[in-house]
Amino acid sequence: MKKVKYILPLLAGLAMGCQKDLLDNVPTTNIPDTKAFDTKERVESQVNGMYTVLKNGKFLGGKVVIANEIRGEDYVNEKANNVTLNASWRMVTTGEAQEVKEIWSQGYMTINSVNVFLAGMAAKGSSVTGKELSDNFIGEAKFIRGLSYFHLLQLFARPYVDGAGSKLGLILYTEPHTKLGNYSKARSTVAETYAQIIRDLDSAETMLPKAADQVTRANSYAAIALKTRVYLYTGQYDKVLTEANKIVPAAPPFESTVGYKLEPNIKNVFVGNYTGAEAIFSLPNTEAVNDYPGTQTQLAYYFNPTALGGNGEYSLHPSGIISDASWKAADARRKFVVTAGNKSWMNKYTKGSPYTDYVPVIRYAEVLLNLAEATVRVTNTVDARAIALLNAVHGRSDATTVFTVADFATPQALINTILKEKHIELLGEGFRSMETTRLNATFPSKSSTVAEVTPAMSSYIWPISSDELVYNKLCKDN
Amino acid sequence: MRKSLLVVVSMLLLVTSVLAQAHRTVTGKVTDESGTPLTGVSVSIPNGKSGTVTDARGVFTLSVAADVKSLRVSFIGFEEKSIQLSSDNLGTIRLVPDTKSISEVVVVGYGTQKRKDVTGNIASVKGASISALPVQSFEAGLGGRAAGVQITVPNGVVNNPPVFRIRGTNSLSLSAYPLIVIDGVPTFSGDVGSTNAPLNPLSSINPADIESIDIAKDAAATAIYGSRAANGVVFVTTKKGKAGKARVGYDGWVGITSPNRLPKVLNSSQYLMIKNEGLANAGDARRYVANLDAKGDTINTDWMDIVYRDKSISQSHSVNVSGGTETSSYYLSAGYTKQQGILERNDFVRKNLLLNVDQRLGRAFSVGGKVSYSNENSLISGSSGSLEGEAFNSGGLARLAFLTSPLVAPYNNDGSYNVVDGGIGGGKNTLPVGIYNPKTMLDLDHSNTEAHHIQGNVYAEFKPFPWLALRTTYGADYVIMNNDMFQNALTGDGSSPNGRATSIHSDYKRWVWTNTAQFDKSFNQHNINVLIGNEQQRDQRERYGLRRDNQADTYFNNTEGGFLSDFSTDLLRRQNYLLSSFARANYNYKEKYFLSANVRQDQYSAFGENNKKGVFYGFSAGWEIAKEQFWADSKLSEIFSSFKLRASHGKVGNLAGLGDFDALSLYEPRPYGGTSALYYSQAGNPDLGWEVSKKTDIGISFGFLQNRITGELAYYNNNINGLILKVPQPPSAGIPSSTVSATVPANIGEMYNRGVEFNVNAMAITRKDFTWNTGFNIAYNKNEITKLVGEVSSIPFTTSTLEQTSVNQVGQPVGMLYVVRTNGIDPATGRRIFINAAGEEVYFNIAAANRYQYADGKVAPAVGVKDAVAYKNTNPKFVGGFENTFRYKNFELNVLLTYQTGFYVYYGSYAGLKDNRYWNNSVDVLNRWQKAGDQTDIPKIVYGDNISNGSSFAIAANVFKGDFVKLKTVGLTYIIPDAVVKPLHISGAKVYVRGQNLAMITKYPGPDPEVSSNGNNASGQGIDRNTLGNGRTVTLGLNVNF
Repeated sequence: MKKVKYILPLLAGLAMGCQKDLLDNVPTTNIPDTKAFDTKERVESQVNGMYTVLKNGKFLGGKVVIANEIRGEDYVNEKANNVTLNASWRMVTTGEAQEVKEIWSQGYMTINSVNVFLAGMAAKGSSVTGKELSDNFIGEAKFIRGLSYFHLLQLFARPYVDGAGSKLGLILYTEPHTKLGNYSKARSTVAETYAQIIRDLDSAETMLPKAADQVTRANSYAAIALKTRVYLYTGQYDKVLTEANKIVPAAPPFESTVGYKLEPNIKNVFVGNYTGAEAIFSLPNTEAVNDYPGTQTQLAYYFNPTALGGNGEYSLHPSGIISDASWKAADARRKFVVTAGNKSWMNKYTKGSPYTDYVPVIRYAEVLLNLAEATVRVTNTVDARAIALLNAVHGRSDATTVFTVADFATPQALINTILKEKHIELLGEGFRSMETTRLNATFPSKSSTVAEVTPAMSSYIWPISSDELVYNKLCKDN
Repeated sequence: MRKSLLVVVSMLLLVTSVLAQAHRTVTGKVTDESGTPLTGVSVSIPNGKSGTVTDARGVFTLSVAADVKSLRVSFIGFEEKSIQLSSDNLGTIRLVPDTKSISEVVVVGYGTQKRKDVTGNIASVKGASISALPVQSFEAGLGGRAAGVQITVPNGVVNNPPVFRIRGTNSLSLSAYPLIVIDGVPTFSGDVGSTNAPLNPLSSINPADIESIDIAKDAAATAIYGSRAANGVVFVTTKKGKAGKARVGYDGWVGITSPNRLPKVLNSSQYLMIKNEGLANAGDARRYVANLDAKGDTINTDWMDIVYRDKSISQSHSVNVSGGTETSSYYLSAGYTKQQGILERNDFVRKNLLLNVDQRLGRAFSVGGKVSYSNENSLISGSSGSLEGEAFNSGGLARLAFLTSPLVAPYNNDGSYNVVDGGIGGGKNTLPVGIYNPKTMLDLDHSNTEAHHIQGNVYAEFKPFPWLALRTTYGADYVIMNNDMFQNALTGDGSSPNGRATSIHSDYKRWVWTNTAQFDKSFNQHNINVLIGNEQQRDQRERYGLRRDNQADTYFNNTEGGFLSDFSTDLLRRQNYLLSSFARANYNYKEKYFLSANVRQDQYSAFGENNKKGVFYGFSAGWEIAKEQFWADSKLSEIFSSFKLRASHGKVGNLAGLGDFDALSLYEPRPYGGTSALYYSQAGNPDLGWEVSKKTDIGISFGFLQNRITGELAYYNNNINGLILKVPQPPSAGIPSSTVSATVPANIGEMYNRGVEFNVNAMAITRKDFTWNTGFNIAYNKNEITKLVGEVSSIPFTTSTLEQTSVNQVGQPVGMLYVVRTNGIDPATGRRIFINAAGEEVYFNIAAANRYQYADGKVAPAVGVKDAVAYKNTNPKFVGGFENTFRYKNFELNVLLTYQTGFYVYYGSYAGLKDNRYWNNSVDVLNRWQKAGDQTDIPKIVYGDNISNGSSFAIAANVFKGDFVKLKTVGLTYIIPDAVVKPLHISGAKVYVRGQNLAMITKYPGPDPEVSSNGNNASGQGIDRNTLGNGRTVTLGLNVNF
């Protein structure tokens, strides 16, 4: 039985040697939630991370802009490809369409990333960063949430003007979602959604730093500037004045004391990575991996012809805004209309693959025009300051045209000119569709097969993502 | 412990001493049919303990008691023989190769068992039956060869892993692929490459090196693999050397494959007619026009000719050397194969080596091991559109072949490529004519994966007593891959980045360390076998890549060449760890009553912190009734030579396909404008655990007429609980996801598979010059999902993230086709009639102001995906095979038919083939509706209409029955007579001709109902979307043994 002496220890030895610690397996490439708020630097990275989610090409860094452009009358779809929004261009998109699902889900992912961040700050992050930084970060988070709700609302809900905000708005969440749960919830009204947006932006305005030194992260003025847009869209024109006047001085050349002014030449704004005085909030792209938009979401890919590094998805419609006679040939903004293959193309975004143009979200010119329009609507006169604001924007690109009070028979005529100015000035920047719907205006016909779309039609706004309707039985479709 | 060992040993001594009586010595020699001596053949007294084995010359000498009347001579792979002791010198005993599966040895986990002792359900396939098939990996040849085993070769791209199911689909979102254990080491499966050329790690094994494949199906047979057993376990055993003189063998074949049943598309005059009719019907004044080539002839390009090979050549050669002595054995083989696919530029090349060595050291120790190395190249130009996720690739070649207009040629008349702005040029046409120029991509692009696959194991075994074996085995499995891609700047996805080269290095590394102790004991006809063991398995994966854009010169086509922009890509690093202990006990009494129990505890790193540990088990019992006296006394014994009842029950798990970190909540680093950023990227689930299958199996195995006819009948019921579903969350919840629909994994679904399997093998004719063996198997399976998520009773599945084609729905089988119903074409107006969710007929006319109308002309809501219904089942009700082998003198004819019935396939490509945009069409559209009263299933052609045909959303008009019977293989072998080969010092040689996929009976209109655009994805089976069909192959082979 000598052998047994060896066998038993051998057996025991073989049964050992396991490495139980390997069972607690965390990745080396991602940071687990338990360690996400450990250092000040990591918390700040998380702030940047919320912007990363926001600027995803499926949302504000790409498809939101593209969808707002191509739903309007200014483009011709060249590729008949539903992946690149052909159905949206034809105004026949469905809840199953890729762009509808992507914008809806990426928008809400942005919102939830804010909610998760805010909860993490309350639990731990604020004590790690200290109050001042914490306030700044929370302000940025709320700005991002407000901006996200605003853009989802424009595509997925009836405009405020239709029923004074009583129609179905968005599903509102301010609490974090981090695990499996029953997240069925009904849509709030449009008015309730706007109220949430204003709550976020008011809070952001007070918490954010009052310094116009950063463009790719929000500051207090960005919150104010965004409020001019939000109040314009809800018809609260007096509040547009209140907000705009916080940053716009009373008289030309309307150079803001906090540092914003129009570039002398608009060309400077679209050099690709513009962060000058006209930019209030932009989304940056760089050549670093994952720091540029994903496939088939890049602005230059959609709007530039192949000769200029794009994919020629959308050319400019010959009878769109480029056909407008009041947009003079010498207007500097005509330089953004280029010709290739007998077609015109919108060329504000110029960088080829991997498409690193910054995406402008708010720039000073818009604030001036918001203020101009609101002023006319509040005063109901052919207001001189409104004309001065209009001239400031128009004049820097077309010095040959100077509007005067005599040019406008009625306040409405002035408003129409301001609206056209905005149409021209912001072409390519993701405004056309929402500028159309906020006024309950009709989308003009684009071709023999794409008829006009009136506010009464269901295709006036997008349907809700079909995924939402399947998994959230409380959500009603448009 | 020591005391009990003492007791057992003394009992053994007692038994031996009782047997001591008067003795005599008998001698003899054992050979095979051809007279070659067999070494290591066991010669023993029936039911007794004493015995011996033959030596290197096949000779044995055995001392036996005087009253012993007969000897039992048995050897693996040969029929056992009982020899009457007529004299002391028994002369030459010739053993005949065993063709009856019932008396074989089968591989079970961590050991082997005699087929007749097995109480679990294990099907066995001999290596010889798949060794010379023109397949890249062995499992592609298993279809129809074992009951309950469903193999679907999903497309004609070479080295693509087949869809492999045992007893139905046993998972929804994890892998439903069985666990593959090669020589005791679980290996990788699936497509592990990172290019458009699939790389199946199982193809590293040369099928000619396989000795046997044992497929464990029920809980009893699989429970020893615990948490990985739910999909079944496939044991692959490679060849080992046999004692005796060295043998050298060569096996080689060459073959021709040609595409089969390609869709017929319009020529250029038909294209002009159809498209211009469509433009006119759309009220569009534009027209397509013909182009002329350099000679002035009308261009009429058949793109199929450009994309497909008319005849592709394949070849395979393997050489092996094997041999051994009483104490050692070796098997060394080398193989080379190059197989061309039916798609241009799609090749598979493998070079491989295998060495198996076993050595006994003294009486108690043995050591041995295996090393195999293979170098595999999977080559293709770019996307075929056939792999999972590729169906809608713009550059998918299978689709470009039928989509691109015949009006244009690959080249301009000046000889340059016909490309305009990255797409294909239309010549005189301004209307679109296609997407990319496939010829340019075929000429310039590549997307290749090269793998170095090393598998090996070493073992040491210590047998201190005859009844105890201690064994330790360390195995490793490394797949090291280089993925090399290039996309040209002229046309295709490479045009936007102005030329793109990508290199990705990827590693799969695994080590497994197994320690077992096995006790074997027999006394008073009680036979006991106990195994205990522990095992650790460690997996590590690493992948990194370099992508380079902006080709500096057209000369460069790899990442090391001249490109202007650099990017990192495909970064990944993961690991997991599985820690297990297990035990098995087998008991039988008089080889009549059998009991078996298995238990395994697994701990797995990827599960949630609350659920890392699981215990699995299987129990089984068997009763060989034919050995009962009452049976032997009855007439039944004249018919049945064996009749065994068996039953098993157990609980096993599934973890395959679960991500290593799926249970964790994570933040992902991703830059924001060049600064560091970290965002919330994954919501985890700390409760995530095993998928649990509770399996019950009841069966009979029987043999008639001295086992000339053998068969098995089994019923099984597999209830699966805790199916991991990636539970979809409403998008508004904002749960992070890299795709549009956010999910959180949870053990929440329930499903069952129930079925009956039957197989029978018969030696129908066994004359001297003519034999006929026939085998038939059939399996019926019923699958039903019984629970999904709370109030959500259906989860749709989207093919290639674009087209919703399938649904998992409570009360239905997995992967139902989810389409909008149609009711043909309105004979009066030529409009497509849809049936919406409410069951109303809606007429569609894309050219009308109100496109969707009811029959009475009232405006109807638009029909879309929301109107889809769970329409048809994609799970075959019956699968099986029918194999016949005829031998006449030196000829052998083998015919295998396989069949699957009772399922439907969504022929999504057919939507494309009827698309009324610029796409070329099937000739079926010539039968379109043209005037009131036309009865047809093709609507009025209206240019731009991509809804009537089913391109916009999947429609029932493109769903077809998939039932088929295939003439899977036909092989004719001629054994060259000894008289011819002996003078050449050849011990045996044969030549053969084989046909693969020669014929098929099916009503399915597509290339092949055996298809899967979603690969092995369980929820998306039965989809044929822009996929390459399977080829038809004829091979000529030669097998020589020295």
